[in-house]
Formats: sequence, structure tokens, C-alpha cells
Amino acid sequence: MKHYLRGLHLALYETLRQGFKPRITQGMRSVEQHEERYRASFALTHNEHGEQACIACMQCSNVCPSHVIEVTAGPKEASPATGKKRGWAADYTLNLQACILCEMCVQVCPTDAIVMVKVQEKPGFSREDLVLTMDKLYANAKARPLAWANGSILREMQDPKREVKP
Amino acid sequence: MDPIFQPFRDDPHYPLDRYEAAADLMLLNMGPQHPSTHGVFRLKLVLDGEIIVKAVPYMGYLHRGVEKMVEGLTFAQMTPIFNKHDYVSPMTNEQAYAVAVETALGIEVPRRARYIRTILAEIQRIASHLLWLSTFTLDMGGVIGGGAAMMMYNFREREDIFDLFEAVTGSRFHYNTHCIGGQRHDLPEGWVQRVRAFLDRQERAFDEYLRLIRNDIFDLRTKGVGVMSADLALGLGITGPNLRASGVDFDMRRDAPFHAYDEVEVRVAVAQGCDAYARYEVRMAEMRESVRILRLLLDQLPEGPICGSKPVKMANAVRVPDGRGYTAIEGPRGEIGTWLIGGGEDKGAKPFRLKIRPPSLHAMAAMSYLLPGHTVSDVVVVLGSLDPIMGEVDR
Amino acid sequence: MILDNPYLHALIVGLPLLAVALTVAGFGVFYERRFAAWIQLRRGPVWVGPQGIFQIVADALKMFQKEDLVPASADQAIFKLASWFPMFLALSLLAVVPMGAVEAEDGSWTAAWAVSSLDVGILWPLALGGLMVFPLWAAGWSSNNKYSLLSGMRMVAQGISYEIPMVLTAMVPVILAGSLSLDDIVTYQMNHGWFAVWPPGPGLVAFVIFFLTSLAEADRVPFDIPEAESEIVGGITIEYSGIRMGLFVLTEYAHTFVAAALTATLFLGGPHMPFSVGPAWMGVVWLLGKTLFLFFVIYWIRWTWLRYRADQLMDLAWRWLVPVSLGLVMLSAVWVQLMEGK
Repeated sequence: MKHYLRGLHLALYETLRQGFKPRITQGMRSVEQHEERYRASFALTHNEHGEQACIACMQCSNVCPSHVIEVTAGPKEASPATGKKRGWAADYTLNLQACILCEMCVQVCPTDAIVMVKVQEKPGFSREDLVLTMDKLYANAKARPLAWANGSILREMQDPKREVKP
Repeated sequence: MDPIFQPFRDDPHYPLDRYEAAADLMLLNMGPQHPSTHGVFRLKLVLDGEIIVKAVPYMGYLHRGVEKMVEGLTFAQMTPIFNKHDYVSPMTNEQAYAVAVETALGIEVPRRARYIRTILAEIQRIASHLLWLSTFTLDMGGVIGGGAAMMMYNFREREDIFDLFEAVTGSRFHYNTHCIGGQRHDLPEGWVQRVRAFLDRQERAFDEYLRLIRNDIFDLRTKGVGVMSADLALGLGITGPNLRASGVDFDMRRDAPFHAYDEVEVRVAVAQGCDAYARYEVRMAEMRESVRILRLLLDQLPEGPICGSKPVKMANAVRVPDGRGYTAIEGPRGEIGTWLIGGGEDKGAKPFRLKIRPPSLHAMAAMSYLLPGHTVSDVVVVLGSLDPIMGEVDR
Repeated sequence: MILDNPYLHALIVGLPLLAVALTVAGFGVFYERRFAAWIQLRRGPVWVGPQGIFQIVADALKMFQKEDLVPASADQAIFKLASWFPMFLALSLLAVVPMGAVEAEDGSWTAAWAVSSLDVGILWPLALGGLMVFPLWAAGWSSNNKYSLLSGMRMVAQGISYEIPMVLTAMVPVILAGSLSLDDIVTYQMNHGWFAVWPPGPGLVAFVIFFLTSLAEADRVPFDIPEAESEIVGGITIEYSGIRMGLFVLTEYAHTFVAAALTATLFLGGPHMPFSVGPAWMGVVWLLGKTLFLFFVIYWIRWTWLRYRADQLMDLAWRWLVPVSLGLVMLSAVWVQLMEGK
């Protein structure tokens, strides 16, 4: 014999009970809460001497799975601060339209130049709005909170001979 | 069910003209734009009134050519690509790929990394099954109906899981937290306590879900619908919960342990019903089992390094010069296999061939066997109970 | 009464009634969305006006602005006509519902203020409710869409099957009150107690069955099989757009409101005031309150239960509801004989 109505009152009780629980959606004017390690957009940093940290080694451009990073290397010149000869990036663009935010460029950067920031880019009206030029990337580093990771931190964390905590 | 449909169930190629001559058959294309086909999936249905005589599934509307694309990428670049196959459980997809390359190279993964992988995989299994439960009830109850309430309750816990993953990896969904040889991110401070708190909440939430769906309507819609015999399931290569719901006691977590599953006891959930209800039973039991396993794993979590090879510093850091092999792990939907042939371009930094064996593709093959004799309403129940992810089916 | 002219009476009583019904149907969309959001841990529409109460205005404006698309291969005339008829039918069901209560000098109560006090009042909503199937089937057929066709077929099968237990259970109050007139039925309840409560057996079961069948007639969960959007993508409304689509949506709410009002009238005493005896206009408030309570229960059910399958729906109707309601009719006849015999 088929039954049709058993157990349905439990469902009614449950939905009514859930109505008194805290809401889980956010209104459109509420502030997004994110974790410590949240990563959203990119920035280029300066090193401790105030020079651009990028040495145009092309590792980020090579490792990018979506091929969105384009670096133009300038001539190798001596650094004014230390006097050592090093590379300079003449231009650096990161096209966020195809970026998958995988953090691989941060992982491979030997000088911690490219890092991620915690604040997302705003939606734009043209394709150019989502192309992060060198100026935008440097401005991001100043204006937005930097994300937790850079290349050194990540590689140190992954080191197979890392000190075991007691 | 009318015995006239039995030959159509046994053989999807059974000729239609052997059906009742007087029948006025109607052809209905269900999908690719349909709210309940779980993505872009097309079912060609031949209907006699509301009853399906023949069903032909068409895949490939979401084909992105990933397997060809990765032949042009180095091994270090591939992890973020692979977590986009099955966009409901990205974590296990990354792991399947990482395990494949580690096996090919013989890299030993540190014990802590294996534990982290197991923990992440089990949390991901809960998240994936929660999404299955919500879409399953959405298919039965409608977007404007009881299914939507269930979905919101499921997504409350699923959001907690995303928060946990975000705390580890910095990303809510496409994590890229695995590398060849281990993990890229270690667990942050206090994360273990957060997971424990989440598990307590999740256990209470199971009772809430059951109160919503343990009633006669759910039973009527699922019992006896989409009966898949063990022979059919084994013949089609169906794995995971769908196979275990057909009464086959096989789970790679217990029978071919990977990660740290050899250090915990996995109680495999098996149901004998073979129908959509049995698949529901298996998945619910698996979620509870995942909670139990997670508690054990968190207790035993060792300290130590998280990566067995040198950190990736350049794109072609990992090379597989030659060799070929198949490795598989148990994902939330079944066996995620990877068939890898090394020795591709750039002295082996790129694969010669990398084939993914997605569990959902095999489950989709069962559709034409399961549907004849059922009504149009049952299509969405059968499809939902198989839990396919079209991104994984088409790749 | 001052309104001896029936046409004038119908105009004066009917126009406010229509306004109230349409307003409630319109705001039903808003009430439902907020209630569903409350159940589902969401917020719902909160931005248009204070607490979002003007959401319906925004929705209606959107509907009006959209293009009135008629598919080239549709049966044009029927397609256009079919979108208007359900609304007329749903609202005209209300014509016989008595909305007020008048106290006589000897302390007994009489129902009053129906738009039209038909002697065979109960037959009017039942007959027109049965007619609802035709425009909906016409819409399903003329859309020239296979999903719409399936939906129309389900609509006809479900509408006709559930008409039978609905009529049979509506006969229970008729037999108990001894009259086909809704005025008499309500008057009887005012003086003898609600039919949902008394007589304890047949009245309560008849109330539940009538409520379930009116859910099926109005295509509400768990019987919303004709418009199952996860199976047949919304059914008959699939090809409609703009204000025609809006009319179907409004009809849904109007029909639900009317079904709730009818159930309240037949089984919950209509405008009867159970606790306090107040002025006659309080009866209108009580009727509205009872109707909105049933309205709330319908949406509570809608956002909680899953839906049946078409064959299970038929099974439920023909194997359970029809025999049980037949038995109820006999039981109530026996009850009346026993009570009159005393």
C-alpha cells in the first residue's frame, strides 16, 4: 500500500524553525568579510631601496598558465642604491580578463616583486579597464592591503628541510 | 513498469519500430538549455505520452579541449587548470593530477602533506555531496518550492567549508594548493579547531536535512526510480557512490589506499536498493562517515614539512622524461583516473599525453539504460541521483 | 437593505471586493517572497520602498515595459485570449462568498453581503473552477511548444481528477447545513459551530481534503505538476512574456487567494467571529484573517514540500480522495439523520 502524507509535518516544523535562525545572505551594501590569506588582485612592489623590485627575469611570464603576463625587459644597468648590475622591467602588463588567480607568478618570483592584494578590481566598462598596466600595479601596492603571501614566504613554507615545530 | 519497455532498457539501440505500432510517439529535446540538466547536457527523448520509450544522451556542449591544451603546458602550470574540470570538487581533481605525476616520478610525499590532502579531500567530499543533495531536491521540488529551502540550508554549511578552504589557500574555489610533491600552503594557526567546530555544526545539520526530506513524497519520487543493476554498473565502468548504491562493495579509499587513508579505518557505505533512493542513502552515509574520518585525522595530524620536492621556482621545474602509467584516486563522484605519458616537448617538461577518466562521463552513459519506462518527471530525478558534473563529463 | 437593486448591489459590494482581491493577489507576491526568504535564511526583497513593500510595483512596471512577444508559429488568437480568461474566472469565484454577519433581534446570526446571494451558490465556484482548465489548456496547446503541450495535458488530467473529490467534499457542508446557498451554510456555521470542528469526524477530514484539492486546482506545491519548472520548464507560461506572463502570475495568486477564501467560507465559518461579538464589519476582517491564514499555510507548504509525480497524483486522487470523500458524504448524511432523529 502506498502512503502519501507521512512525515510531511516534520518538514513543516523544520522550515518554521529555520526561520528564527540568523540570516546567511549579505545585503548589497554590507562589507565582505575575508580570511587572512584571501587573494584577489595584483600589485608590483618596490624593494627596500625604493627601486622597482622586478628584475625582468620572465619567470612569471613563463609560468603563467593563461599567458596573461607580458614583461618587456629594459637594458641591464647598475642599481643606484647598491651599485650592482641588475635587470629592469621597461613595461609590465597583467591582463586580468583571462587571469585565473592561481598565484603561480607569486610563487616563482625570485625578488618578491609581483604579489597579490586583498581587494578586488572593480568591474569596468571596457576591456582596457581590466588590463593592469605597470602604473596600476604600482598604485595597487600603495593603495591596497597586500595579501599574505609573497614568493619567499611561499617557498620557505614549502621547503622540504623546513624546521619541524616542537 | 510495463514489460514492453524491458528490451529498450536492456539495449539502447533496440529499434523503435518494434514498439507498439499504434503509438503516437513524440520527440522531445530536453536541454541543452534546461534548468535541471546540471549544466549543458542534451537528452533526446522519444515519448509515448509522458512515458519515455527511448533516451539518447548527447554530451560535449561544455567541451573545452583541456586534454589537448595541457600538452602545451608544463607540469608546474597544470594544477590550476585541473581544478576546473569538476567545478564542484576542485580539491580532489588537483590531487588526482598531483598523485599521477608523483607516482610517475617516484616522489615521496611527506606525511603531514598526505594528512592535509586527506583532510581537504574529505571536507571537499562533504561539500560536493551537499551540493548534490541540494540539486537533487531542487530537481524534485523545484526552484520555487521545497527544494530551494533545502538548497539554502545546504549552502549555509557549504559556505562554512569555503571559508575553511579560503583560510588555507586564500581562494574560495579554485585553490591551486597542491604541487608536485606536496602542498603549497600549510595549515594556518587555529584552523584545526575551526574544522572541529564546523564538524559539530555539520552533524547537527544532518538531522535538519533529514527532517525536511524523510517523508513520503521523497520516498515516492525516489524509490524504484532509475534501477541500475550491479552488472550494468560494472559493465559501464561506473564508480563511486553510484556503484556502491548498486550493491558493489568497492571504495578505493579502503581497497587501494592513497594519501593517508591507510592510516584510518574507512567504513564503506553500501546500499542494495540500486535505485535513486539507494544512491541518496549511500551519499548521506558517506557524509557522516567523512565527519567521523575527519575527527580521526585531525587527532593524528603530524608536524613536519609539507612538500617532498624543491619549491617550484620556474615553469619547467618538473620533468617526466619518459614512462607511462595510470593512477586513480577516489573523488566524491568516483574514480578520477589520470593516464599520463611522459616525454613530451621541452625534454619532458610537458606531457606527451594526459588523459582524464572522469567518473561522471561513465555515469552519463547509464542514462539511456535507466530511463525507458519512466515518465518525464523521473528524468530529472535519475539524472540528479547520478550526480553528474558536466564540466567533468566534457572536459 | 438599501440595495434592493441587485445590479447596484453587485457594483457597490463587488468593486471593493475586486480591489481587495487584486491588491491581495498583487501583494501576495511580495508576502510570499519575504516569507520564503524568512524560511530560507535569506533577506528577500528589501530595497524598493520601506522593507521592500513596493517591490510589486517595480515588478509590474517591468512586466508592462517588456515586449509582448507572440511566437510566429503559435495560434495567435487563442494564444492571446488564453492569457486573459483565467483571471476573470478566478476572480468571479468570489461573487457568492458572504463577507459580513448581521445579528438578528433574537440573537441569532445571519450571513450577508455577498455580491450575489445565489440560492445554488456553491455550484457557482465549483462550476467556474472547473472551467479554469479550458483557458489553461488552450494556452498550452496554442503555444506550439512541446513542454507547454505536456503541461496543458497534465493540467487537464489534474484539474478534472481533483474536481471530483473537491465537489464531493463540498457536499459535506451542503448536507450538514441542508442548503446549497453559501449564505445558509455560513449562517448554519454561525449558529452551530464551524464545520472544520463540528461534527468532529467528517467535518475535519472534509476540510483537509477540500484544502488539498484546492491546492491541486490552483496548481500549488505539492501538486504543481503542470508548471513543474524543473521538469517541463514552467509549462504553459513558457512562451508568454511581458504583461501576459504577468497576468498568469497574478492569476496564480488570485486563484490561491480565492481558493483560501472559499475554504474559509465552507469550513471555517466565513465571517463568523468566534471569540468576540463585534459590529458587522468585523466579520469582513475575520474572513480576511482566516483567508490570509490559509494563504500563509499554502505558501508554507509550497516552500517546504517536494512535489508528487503525475501518476502518483492521479493515484492519490482516485484511490484515496474520491472514495474517502464519498464515504464522508454518506457519513454526514447519517449524522444529519441521527441529529434530526433526536
